[in-house]
Amino acid sequence: MIAYIVRRLLIGLLSLVGASIVAFTLTRIVPSDPAAMWMGPRATPEQIERTQIELGLDQPIPVQYWRYVSGLARGDWGISIVTKRPVLRDLATYLPASIELILFGLLIGFAVGIPLGVFSSAKSGSLLDHGSRLVSIAGVALPSFWLAMLLQLTLAKWANLFPLTGRIDLLMEITNPVRRITGFLLLDALFTGNLSALRDALWHIVLPAVTLAMYPLGLATRMVRTTMLEVLSEDYVRTARASGIRELKVLRKYALRNAIGPVLTIAALTFGYSLVSTFLIESLFTWPGLGRYAAKAIVSVDYPAIMGVTMLVAVTYIGLNLIVDLVQALLDPRVRLS
Amino acid sequence: MGAQIRWMWRRAKRNPLTIAGLSAVTAMILLSLLAPWVAPYPKDVSAVHPSERFQAPSRAHWFGTDELGRDILSRVIFGTRISLRVGSLVVALALAIGLPLGIVAGTFGGVLDEVLMRITDVFLSFPPLLLAMAISAILGATLVNVMIAIAIAWWPWYARLVRAEAVSIRERAYVEAARAAGASWRRIMWRHILPNSLAPVIVQASMDFGSVILTSASLSFLGLGAQSPTPEWGLMINIGRTFFLTHWWIVTFPGLAILIAVLAFNLTGDGLREILDPKAAPR
Amino acid sequence: MSTRARCTAVLVLLCIGLLATAFGGGAADLKVAVHLQGAEIVPYWDPSDGASGEIALMNNLYETLLRYDPDTNEFIPVLATGYQQSEDAKTWTFTIRRGVAFHTGNVMNAHAVKASIDRTIERDRGSAYIWAPVESIEVIDDYTVRFHLSQPAPLDLIAAAGYCAYVFDPEFSDHDWFIAGNDSGTGPYTVESSEGSEKVIIKRFDDYWGGWAGSHFDRVVFLTVPEASTRRLMLETGQADFCESLPPTDIEAMRGNPRIRIEVNPSFQNLMVLYNNQRAPLDNALVRRALSYLVPYEDIVEVALGGYGRVARGVIPHGLWGHSDRVETFTYNPTVARALLTQAGYPNGGFKFLLTYPAGYEDIRKTVELWKAACAELNIELDARAMPTAERNAIARSPDPARRQDIYLLYWWPDYANPDSFLSGMFYTQVRPAYNLGYYSNRDFDGLVDFATTLPSGTPEAIDMMVELQNILQRDAAGIALWDMEYLRAMSSLLGGYRDNAAYPNVVFWYDCYRE
Repeated sequence: MIAYIVRRLLIGLLSLVGASIVAFTLTRIVPSDPAAMWMGPRATPEQIERTQIELGLDQPIPVQYWRYVSGLARGDWGISIVTKRPVLRDLATYLPASIELILFGLLIGFAVGIPLGVFSSAKSGSLLDHGSRLVSIAGVALPSFWLAMLLQLTLAKWANLFPLTGRIDLLMEITNPVRRITGFLLLDALFTGNLSALRDALWHIVLPAVTLAMYPLGLATRMVRTTMLEVLSEDYVRTARASGIRELKVLRKYALRNAIGPVLTIAALTFGYSLVSTFLIESLFTWPGLGRYAAKAIVSVDYPAIMGVTMLVAVTYIGLNLIVDLVQALLDPRVRLS
Repeated sequence: MGAQIRWMWRRAKRNPLTIAGLSAVTAMILLSLLAPWVAPYPKDVSAVHPSERFQAPSRAHWFGTDELGRDILSRVIFGTRISLRVGSLVVALALAIGLPLGIVAGTFGGVLDEVLMRITDVFLSFPPLLLAMAISAILGATLVNVMIAIAIAWWPWYARLVRAEAVSIRERAYVEAARAAGASWRRIMWRHILPNSLAPVIVQASMDFGSVILTSASLSFLGLGAQSPTPEWGLMINIGRTFFLTHWWIVTFPGLAILIAVLAFNLTGDGLREILDPKAAPR
Repeated sequence: MSTRARCTAVLVLLCIGLLATAFGGGAADLKVAVHLQGAEIVPYWDPSDGASGEIALMNNLYETLLRYDPDTNEFIPVLATGYQQSEDAKTWTFTIRRGVAFHTGNVMNAHAVKASIDRTIERDRGSAYIWAPVESIEVIDDYTVRFHLSQPAPLDLIAAAGYCAYVFDPEFSDHDWFIAGNDSGTGPYTVESSEGSEKVIIKRFDDYWGGWAGSHFDRVVFLTVPEASTRRLMLETGQADFCESLPPTDIEAMRGNPRIRIEVNPSFQNLMVLYNNQRAPLDNALVRRALSYLVPYEDIVEVALGGYGRVARGVIPHGLWGHSDRVETFTYNPTVARALLTQAGYPNGGFKFLLTYPAGYEDIRKTVELWKAACAELNIELDARAMPTAERNAIARSPDPARRQDIYLLYWWPDYANPDSFLSGMFYTQVRPAYNLGYYSNRDFDGLVDFATTLPSGTPEAIDMMVELQNILQRDAAGIALWDMEYLRAMSSLLGGYRDNAAYPNVVFWYDCYRE
């Protein structure tokens, strides 16, 4: 087991290197002028030229790559051309907000999706089954920002049930700010005993998390249902049913275990994907997450920021996939780690 | 052969949702083929009528007009062509790359598996946006090139999914029996693993149809892919979102079109899977 | 108790605790204002480096020697109580205000002024070039500063610029310290906290030299809200006090709302079209003029701007000195266009031009589509591409002329209230193009522009020169201005004291504001 983990980590490092090379090359291929962006809208050609040398952009690409990578090892992830701040600092600012949002989204998505998929497979062919299929597809098909605007308009503006945007009430941030320990607002509020801020932050996360949850919800319902249907027709399940064990227990103990595999895979993939692709949701809900940062970086060809985000996402993927494979092996005795 | 088809058709008929999906898909294909004749204002793909802008849905314009006076119904119909093309091309390309890689990796395991999975890791860590930007910058910012870019960003999902399925099938009893009987891994791959791994992939692919359209939508707003005035649904939604609060119809109808399109393909894909896989049939 | 029961009990207690807090804790008696922007608040934290969006925040943290009011054409003394200029406009002496403290506690005086501006000049970033005429800065005594210029220039306007003219504490001017979100200005507010570039909270600086008599805001929150619909909803639900800009459709929809006040203010910003003067067939002035007659100017202002804006007359916008009715202008006239094309030898058009414009701007997109449709009628195809700035400029400034575009669109506005910016920024010969992205090169024009900078601003002679320069550009159709923008501001109807100043685009001087 340990050997497996170590080997996976080492290979993961290889993937990281591969990703970094490809990303770096891509950012240098796209036509752009980072020095001009750095200097701002009214820069003169002389200023730009000077900055080019300062930023080391006149060097050949392999040299630039080497400088970047050796910086990475030292903990210097470069300075963002757009924000002018250390990329690592930017990532630390925006990552916790993204993680909170995605985790909540996944939580809601799976909390609704998995039971829906299970019961849908148990009552296959019934109205519940058809209904849940429709719901799950709609969840995936709805344009996310359309849903976000709908929710904002109905639940926030008209019904006044939830806040419109942001992570926390602006007034509360001034009068009763949460002391930053981890960067995770909810955790920090909990740790510092700031219950009113915790409540406010929870209220703020509901709408964006629900919007985010639609996709994993739909996916999970479908996946669970599909896998469950396969498993439920297996011999050992029929034996369990025949021997009189209660349906619920059958579902839970025998079948669910097997459905977890693909669901975990989805969770890992969705998590990594959502880190960066939620910029429309973040935009609408003014959520200070990585999606907005990444989108801006890509559009401005802010190559240190792009590299930073890519490295972060790559590490996340590798780590999560490793965990998922381990958990799958643990739960499903038939799967042996190769 | 005829008997098989009749058997499949009988099973399909038992599932009303599948029928609905199939009909919708057929309708869409017909619409896209007959667009110039079905659309009430076919010129509105590019012509502008500023004096008629922002008209709410009426008898003259069933879906209303947009910010430049163009008939939205006509544009949505023409958009069917584009969306069908984008969705199917991207998914097909992504499958063409991801399916074989995933099957091979899952069946044979070992070093091949490791190498292929690392390659998918590398691609998965890329924000699809970056890939799309880079490729469109190199090849030119056209819709086709963006489709290629999205496909390149998409295939790792399929590879991983198929591989996971292949891995668990590999360990099944009947595979072991086949091995014991002397079948080569290649034979097993074609006869056992491939057909049985398809189920989750079909499910995923049918759901991805919509995601692809939505992805190309966000890309087109950043200046990649479809350019104004192309009546691409995603582009129409993204432009219309500025007016969502004041002129709801500009966003709603293309959004509905996407919804229905995705629904249709999903139901069809689902039905297909049920037909092909006896275990998944309704009891 | 079983594990499950215990877990449930804890959850229930937590929920009760959370709900209880719903009824406790009211906000303190602080007056807080919320200022919404569409783009990031602080692209540049360093006061010497600024050139764009940070202007709104910075002008509340930092101050300049003077402030310019284009409506009255007067200078308001801020950090300078008075100034004199020599006959030849090459020596300017400012008297510095006493009793001004920096947020850091140090005292502001002539030495600080010199050090600030010297640093800005030395760093040479952003709009620092506005100080180019300055040869040296001399400290006469603790509260007197003298600027020696190498050529005559309107130093009062320069010192009143919205960018790169701030005075800050030289003892606290480390670049990394600024980047970390600190400020060392003299302004009425100072930074309390910031989250990236998208949220900045500033608090009142108690020792501000202007004093705090009367009603003022204690805190101002600057927030980036990229979606216009969200900004509007925040305004309508009373969660925001000021919204920098909203699309015309939303403005129209909010007109009847008593809680919201709409202001339409003139600006010095316009939309420019630059033709590639060096590539056939656009190197032929007749073709350029023909294209200029194909722009549906009135329709564009009506449709793309929702009526909020004016058709441009010359490249210098309305309201800025140098703008004049004596400048010739194009109108929408396809007949004349066709005649010009025939004269040039292309009676049936048949061109395809690559046109690039900034992505993400609704008004520019609609403008382009209207122009495209009009050109299509004469068999001219505008291959219009929306692109992010980085990519657009890489193409436009490409060393290989074959890669460049045919038509380039951009917004333009001056760094300080001076029309020269429009002329030299986009039309003066630039061997390595910066913003002369029409690659126009006319030595006579250059010579006249140089001469114009020696004339004192706003005088009849100077205005005549501006008119002539604009007309040269007009006849050559080197590039044209399509429309002059109007700023659409939406704010709470309870917000008092706000006055829009076009010389400081998008700036709210929050010190002057209060809630009724």
